[in-house]
Amino acid sequence: MSDSIANIEWGECWLEPTPMPPELAADIRRALHGVLPAWSARLATVPWVAREFPRLSSKSIAHMPLDLWEMIGLVVSQDNSCRYCYGVTRVLLRVLGYDAARVQQLERDLNLADVSPGDHLALDFARRISHANPRLSAPDYARLREAGYSKPVIAEIAYCAATNVCANRIATLLAFPPGFTPVERVAMRLLRPLVARRIRGKLMQPEPLPPNVGPCADVVAALDGSPAARVLRTAIDEALASPVLPRRTKLLMLAVIGKALGCAYSEREASAELAQAGLGPADVAEVLTNLGSPKLDRREALLVPFARETVRYQVPVIQRRTRELSQQLTRDELIEAVGIASLANGVCRLSILLETC
Amino acid sequence: MLTIALVALAAALGWLAWRSRARATAIENRLEDAARELERLQNAFARFAPLDVIEGIIERRGVSTRSEIKEVTVLFADLKGFTALAEQLDPGRLVALLNGYFQVMGRVVAEHRGHLGKFLGDGFLALFGALEPNPWQTNDALHAALAMRDALTDYNRRTQADGLPSLAMCFGIHRGPVVAGVLGNSALMEYGVIGRTVNLAARVERLTRVHDVDILVTEAVRDTCDARFRLRAMPAVELKGVPGAPPTFAVEGFDGG
Repeated sequence: MSDSIANIEWGECWLEPTPMPPELAADIRRALHGVLPAWSARLATVPWVAREFPRLSSKSIAHMPLDLWEMIGLVVSQDNSCRYCYGVTRVLLRVLGYDAARVQQLERDLNLADVSPGDHLALDFARRISHANPRLSAPDYARLREAGYSKPVIAEIAYCAATNVCANRIATLLAFPPGFTPVERVAMRLLRPLVARRIRGKLMQPEPLPPNVGPCADVVAALDGSPAARVLRTAIDEALASPVLPRRTKLLMLAVIGKALGCAYSEREASAELAQAGLGPADVAEVLTNLGSPKLDRREALLVPFARETVRYQVPVIQRRTRELSQQLTRDELIEAVGIASLANGVCRLSILLETC
Repeated sequence: MLTIALVALAAALGWLAWRSRARATAIENRLEDAARELERLQNAFARFAPLDVIEGIIERRGVSTRSEIKEVTVLFADLKGFTALAEQLDPGRLVALLNGYFQVMGRVVAEHRGHLGKFLGDGFLALFGALEPNPWQTNDALHAALAMRDALTDYNRRTQADGLPSLAMCFGIHRGPVVAGVLGNSALMEYGVIGRTVNLAARVERLTRVHDVDILVTEAVRDTCDARFRLRAMPAVELKGVPGAPPTFAVEGFDGG
């Protein structure tokens, strides 16, 4: 359920910043128009989380209208009650030239917002990907096609919604401190056109599908032709290759989130990979039915039920749960677990493209 | 003279312009307040009905009679011996005792991803899987019942310190299809569920008194719950309005930690 920024309860971030390796800082700056946000130092000990989420949040797109990117960010952040992302997107929209009234219209009621009927459909589509209750179906997709959106554009709209779902979870679960530059400041007003130009960016060239082997390859393939496919493939591969948590634990989290979202594809993909990791179909079925099993190790017994909680939540509750988990895991394990849960939430929602296209 | 008249006219026009602007601002502020209030209500209602139902109401500016069949786990909870207790307590203390109990149990239900569908005197109906899809709804309902059992022990300890009597709860749980939708008349409406599943859960709750147990579940719950719940089969008893004598099971605990 959407919420206005002032009404969102938000806890204190307990992750202290750590020194940032220069190459990691450079990667993040590249993805975020030269900006190195304060939160990146809080994630620096698990490099893939610190690096891949800014990349996923950058406009690696070649087809969809650029203006839709931030608007989708606003409606999805609002749907997920992510105070941090919501605030950032609001500021970005203001910098891009949206006046306060127009931003407020978008927040208050999409039906009354000053956007074209096509944009309205696209924003509603993105919001429903985020909400996933009920999951989108073929007629929803067909309506976008009838409104004139091509298949690659719809895939990127879905990607934009899904990556915002990821970012919202990282920021919410770890309670990134909200704090934004007031757009009304005189200096900001003067610099706005320059900053806006940089933020708006431009569409990239379409790209052929990168080598695409590994879990969720079909979801990545649904983005064929978009630079987003490469970014998503890299994020999934980096996440699974990271040594902080075992691959099996991460696949179990993906399977649970897939099941919670009614995403049979993700559940199947994770189960197939788990079989290779030595967990047979009966064991996986037991874990997915009961969110527990004697075969799970201590960390898995904590993370399997936690993964389920990241799908739909009340902000104070999930922040409290994540904080409790931080007492039972190392700092890096917690950051990686939050990263995996966030990525899995995005990928499982994006897999809707396989069912609707 | 003409100058004075022009100055007076300009002042009058200026005043009129200022007044209409002030009025417009006041109207804008009121609209803003109304929008904020609507948003607050929308958020509040999300706790009582699925989002698509609420959005449908807002978009159509009215309530739809559309209903749907859903797989839901229904939990009926009731207080044992409350009628006798009610006769002993003065109304103020009775209401305070009951409201405190509803408060505690409502929190436990929400913590287990259920929602309170209805208060029924000293009892209530809780639903799992009604507002959002929940593949773990049976386990959630059983964990909620066990957690309520513990929460009641704590609550009794607190109320006894205030000289109030102890409460005892019993639960009936069944899983199956229900018809879900907005029910009621033009004066009173609520999002609710109806059907055999609801009736059977209610009957099973009454059966706890016959078997002298506090949590009783049906075969449909037994078949879909975690095998780590300790269940004990109860003797078959015929239930009013239910064909045959449905098997029931007492829930003794959970072995999964």
